Amino acid sequence: MTRLFSYLHLPRRHLAHTGHNSTFQSRSNAARSPLPTALLSLLLALFCSIGLLACGGTASSSNTLLFGAPISLTGSTATEGHLTLEGYQLWVKEVNAHGGIKVGNTTYQVALKYYDDGSSPTRSAQLTQQLITADKVNFLLGPYGTSATLQDEAIAERYKIPMVEANGAAKAIFSRGFHYIFGVLSPASEYAKVMLEAALSLPTPPKTVAIISANDSFSEEVATAARDFARSQGMEVVYYQTYPSGATDLTGVLTALKTSAHGGVPDMLLGSGHESEAVTTMKECKQLNINAKLYAFTVGPATPDFTTSLGPDANYVLGSSQWTPQEHYQGIDFFGTPANYERIYKQTFGHEPSYQSAESTAAGLAFQYALQNAGSIDPQKVRDALARLNIMTFYGVIRFDATGANTFKPMATIQIQNGQVVTVYPKEVANAQLLYPTPPFSQR
Amino acid sequence: MLIVQVIVNWLLLGSLYAAVALGFSLVWGIMNIVNLAHGAFILVGAYAAYWAFTQLHIDPFLGLPLTMLLLFCLGWIVQYVAINRVIRAPFLMTFLLTFGLDLLIADVVQLLFTSDRRSINTAYSGFGLTLGTLHIPFDRLLAALIAVLLTAALSLFLQRTRTGNAILATGMDRDAARLMGIRIDRIYALTFGLGAALAGAAGAMLVELYPFDPSQGGVFTLRAFVIVVLGGLGTPWGALAGGLVFGLAETVVPLLPGIGPGYDDAIAFALMVLVLIIRPRGILGKAFYA
Repeated sequence: MTRLFSYLHLPRRHLAHTGHNSTFQSRSNAARSPLPTALLSLLLALFCSIGLLACGGTASSSNTLLFGAPISLTGSTATEGHLTLEGYQLWVKEVNAHGGIKVGNTTYQVALKYYDDGSSPTRSAQLTQQLITADKVNFLLGPYGTSATLQDEAIAERYKIPMVEANGAAKAIFSRGFHYIFGVLSPASEYAKVMLEAALSLPTPPKTVAIISANDSFSEEVATAARDFARSQGMEVVYYQTYPSGATDLTGVLTALKTSAHGGVPDMLLGSGHESEAVTTMKECKQLNINAKLYAFTVGPATPDFTTSLGPDANYVLGSSQWTPQEHYQGIDFFGTPANYERIYKQTFGHEPSYQSAESTAAGLAFQYALQNAGSIDPQKVRDALARLNIMTFYGVIRFDATGANTFKPMATIQIQNGQVVTVYPKEVANAQLLYPTPPFSQR
Repeated sequence: MLIVQVIVNWLLLGSLYAAVALGFSLVWGIMNIVNLAHGAFILVGAYAAYWAFTQLHIDPFLGLPLTMLLLFCLGWIVQYVAINRVIRAPFLMTFLLTFGLDLLIADVVQLLFTSDRRSINTAYSGFGLTLGTLHIPFDRLLAALIAVLLTAALSLFLQRTRTGNAILATGMDRDAARLMGIRIDRIYALTFGLGAALAGAAGAMLVELYPFDPSQGGVFTLRAFVIVVLGGLGTPWGALAGGLVFGLAETVVPLLPGIGPGYDDAIAFALMVLVLIIRPRGILGKAFYA
């Protein structure tokens, strides 16, 4: 009984350390001299109102359209988030440099208001709310990633503010019956398909494939689509495994994979996940001496980080890309061609654009032409114009189906050759031959 | 043969995890501080090794003493400047302080190195011993050996040296130790410095094996916590035992039919709960300096 008592009740001397006494003291101090408190609250109120005025100022200045976006600038998808932000910023810069957007008889300049969501979907949703209610943005651009987009689109829907997102490709985003969400990307099912098609176009295509996938909704959707497509094309899927999203070690999965093709290594390894997992997979394949004939990752190879962190081991790896600078689109926008976009991007940021940047710029373009077509900045009219949009841009066609997804744009397969990203499929846009098979790690 | 490879993977990963938790276990055991900045120290170690490798071309394994020295100094300073002030305050205060330090250090690392993913590729990375179908990568083997060596060295240091005994004595009874003439503040600074140095060693080895970015510190703090709870406080070997059990969940469990790797975290934490129920002190824990 005494033990229970001592378990429940802290000894009195403990209280001195918890700071209870000091709290009481400071309160009574405040009560004795009300002037400083009053002064403090006055100051506080002043600061708050200045803050509010500043926010209101940007939104209400008559000829500027404010676009808001929560973006992951820190946390697990910080790299991709920064690329997204640069894509948005380039669009804003170029629109304003070209005189703004003409909507009806008024010409609007464009401004971007963004916050760092720390790669947390929950935080992203809070920030979306803040952008709408506190910052009074006119329109929303998407965050980075499917999970965050799924959260944010619900907020956009509630406030009936159109959101064009550029970095969430899962079907789930467009299957909730929402009317204010539009995505410029090709859908998730295309990611792995285009790489499998590239592999199947080879004279002696790989016969067996192992598919590993992170267990988030986008990656799994890609992986299931890949499995079904591979089977329909007569490839044998000898291993299919999901692992926790963000896993730091994959030796368990890869050890099982190593002997999955009738006791041997499968011809092709297809990874559906994120950049960090793609790098981990390659590093550990080398450590475990797993030599497949072809490595392919849905996300990763297209980002510059992949090559810098893997060095020569990044060579021969296939990736799928929403966009590459080699494609031959002739757009009606001020960028015109992919090559021209690449040039302007490099001038502005000092490094190559990735597809994340290009699709983010494309989201801006979608708004730009929808606003022009609508002839109004009324959210409802802009939404309707987005739904009817059908334009060719440097990024490819932007046209939304009934759910808001851009199912009309093809994807490309890239390969890393001598540390450079080249396009190898489809043949019409390729600037290099697909190198196959990949030499073993020991012979590179 | 698959089973042999799995067992080898498990031993290699488990030992590496011991290195991750070793410093955490020491600081918790001796100072009764759950050091939430442990992951941040691992991060600093990783980035120090990365910087030394890319700028000065020092191999991360050869540069390990340097990394550890750097982290030791950092730990010493942090202890002297910050932690010593709240060492007698309630548990929550040290919790808050180390949490703040974790955020601070991780953000400084991010400012210096950006949030891009970094990874080291040495000339020998990926090579290993091949015995039939069994493959043992050199870098993982080396990391595991160093981890076991560090555990043994720490154990010997605590048991056999005067300073080590003073650390243990302080952990057992702070006031009695002071009465015996031990300068508690210096012992604490030494302990915290050692903890940070061990975290740095873990970081330097991790960056050789995995891609690293500044958001990963928290992941390793959490793992160190689970490992220490599993293995038990009171002896450095507890960290090794905990590391091996934790590694089990990541290497062996995914291969069991019907389970798959999606559950490895769940299984690791379930093991933790199980250990807490059956043996609250942890596998090798003693009521010695907890």
